[in-house]
Amino acid sequence: MLEVNNQYTLMKRKIDVEVLKSYFSGTLANDIELLPIKIIPREREPNRCCVYKERAMVRYRIMALLGVDIDRNDDEYKSLASYAEEALAKKPEILPTLTTITPGCSACPDEQYRITDACRGCFARPCLANCPKEAIVFVNGRAIIDEKRCINCGKCLDVCPFHAVVHVPVPCEAACPVGAIHKNAAGYVEIDHGKCIDCGHCSRSCPFGAIAERSSLMYVAKLLMKGTHVVAMVAPAIEGQFPGSLAQIKSALSKVGFSDVVEVAEGAELTARHEANELREKLDGGQRFMTTSCCPAYTGLVDAHVPELAPYYSQTLSPMAYTTHICETRYPGANLVFIGPCLAKKVEAASLPSIDSVLTFAELAALFVAKGVDVKEMPVVEEPVDSTTYADCRGFALPQGVARAVVKRSETPFKTMQIDGLDKKTVRLMKIWPKRPPEADLVEVMCCEGGCLAGPGVLVNPKIANRLRQGIDVATVGTKPLEAKRHV
Amino acid sequence: MGQKKIKVKICVGTACFVQGGADLLLYEDFLDPHLLGLCEFEGTSCLDACKRDAVGLKAPFVEVDGKLYSEMTPRKLSEILKEAAHVGG
Repeated sequence: MLEVNNQYTLMKRKIDVEVLKSYFSGTLANDIELLPIKIIPREREPNRCCVYKERAMVRYRIMALLGVDIDRNDDEYKSLASYAEEALAKKPEILPTLTTITPGCSACPDEQYRITDACRGCFARPCLANCPKEAIVFVNGRAIIDEKRCINCGKCLDVCPFHAVVHVPVPCEAACPVGAIHKNAAGYVEIDHGKCIDCGHCSRSCPFGAIAERSSLMYVAKLLMKGTHVVAMVAPAIEGQFPGSLAQIKSALSKVGFSDVVEVAEGAELTARHEANELREKLDGGQRFMTTSCCPAYTGLVDAHVPELAPYYSQTLSPMAYTTHICETRYPGANLVFIGPCLAKKVEAASLPSIDSVLTFAELAALFVAKGVDVKEMPVVEEPVDSTTYADCRGFALPQGVARAVVKRSETPFKTMQIDGLDKKTVRLMKIWPKRPPEADLVEVMCCEGGCLAGPGVLVNPKIANRLRQGIDVATVGTKPLEAKRHV
Repeated sequence: MGQKKIKVKICVGTACFVQGGADLLLYEDFLDPHLLGLCEFEGTSCLDACKRDAVGLKAPFVEVDGKLYSEMTPRKLSEILKEAAHVGG
């Protein structure tokens, strides 16, 4: 997985900001065709082969921002202006969430182990001795790998004393926990949407930016422009994503046009309470364990790949679903926009008809910047809702946070365990749980390692986000060490 | 000794912060400890540099001893500070 901020994610954010600025100033139809040139000027030193390719990729990024499914609807003859017109005319259909940009794909070579010229052709030959498939041969006194026999087990890499063996992965394939992404016959990336759980690990791993998330940011921008009643439902991970306190972030949301802000932690409190009861009932009824269900990539994984685990995940509604119900009662008829760190929540939202749209924190950042709203300078306004009952549920964004909130609301103690990050190995482990249960009553599963604070839609390194969440001022956050333990 | 410290102001206005400026706040992780000792860091309110920048693509900004630098990355900051320490010392 690449770092949160890299040349590609920063470019993405710049593009979002430029498109929004132009939209808010009412000149989008005129500007949009030339935006790729404005963003990639001739003088730029390109990271791709040339500025023209970079401009072409900016065009694709803008299409993804407009919600276009590039896989199916890439029309080179169509102007960006007409794509924009369509995107603004109606609520965009944004499933499947991920789409590929074939011209951006580098068609990486198949995963392989290769022996470099650091090989000294030694006498002991541990590579040869340890290869289970006799795939190592010596030519001119040096080891080479016979690709036909090699099974990519990596044993030679582990044992070579000269580090002469390199592993060349296909980053998107390696990151996908469920084998939903592969190279097609021509060698380019392709997503099997029947298998995909929308975790976004592939799009964060591709160093070429060839996998894009389809956005509904323009639709939200239009709602905000129109001045309709729009409610922001903010996920617990939002604290620490911007240079200011949670209260200041809420003020900033009002400033960009959201009529009301509701913390999803409020719904998370209901999830935790009901999950504690459900777990007690299930254990009393003889079930060996239960897993949490608030991570939609995990429930997607179970439904599509590990159906035998389905009876074990909690049937309690997710914080997003409870919060939606709260908003339906509190603000009848309002447009609800969920803002979180997650791509899979876009899929979950599709099953909740009251939710109009799902944005990521990165997309919200573009809104703030385009509107010139500085979170750091925002006033702290008094909370309309007393948050003391659900304050601890802001910890749902962190590993152990969900389990702690559930245990806290239970009369009897539970043994808990965490799955912090899904990959191929953890998926294999989960498959045996129905036969060999984990040694815990409650298993908390988070698809992203580091929890939602490390989700695909975040914009701040969790090291900084965590410190800001502890209430440290952004001006001095660099000097403050992270507290070793924090009880969420 | 009494050497004057190099004053480093990292802009933590929202535009800079979300455009990679947040990573610059991890200076204790990416700077050489010796260099760290020679500098004095501060996260500062918007330096207004982004508003003067017509295209709006130059964030994040950092001010080192009063001089403004744009499109800052941890690597670039490290180089600028090395240079400043060399000249100053």
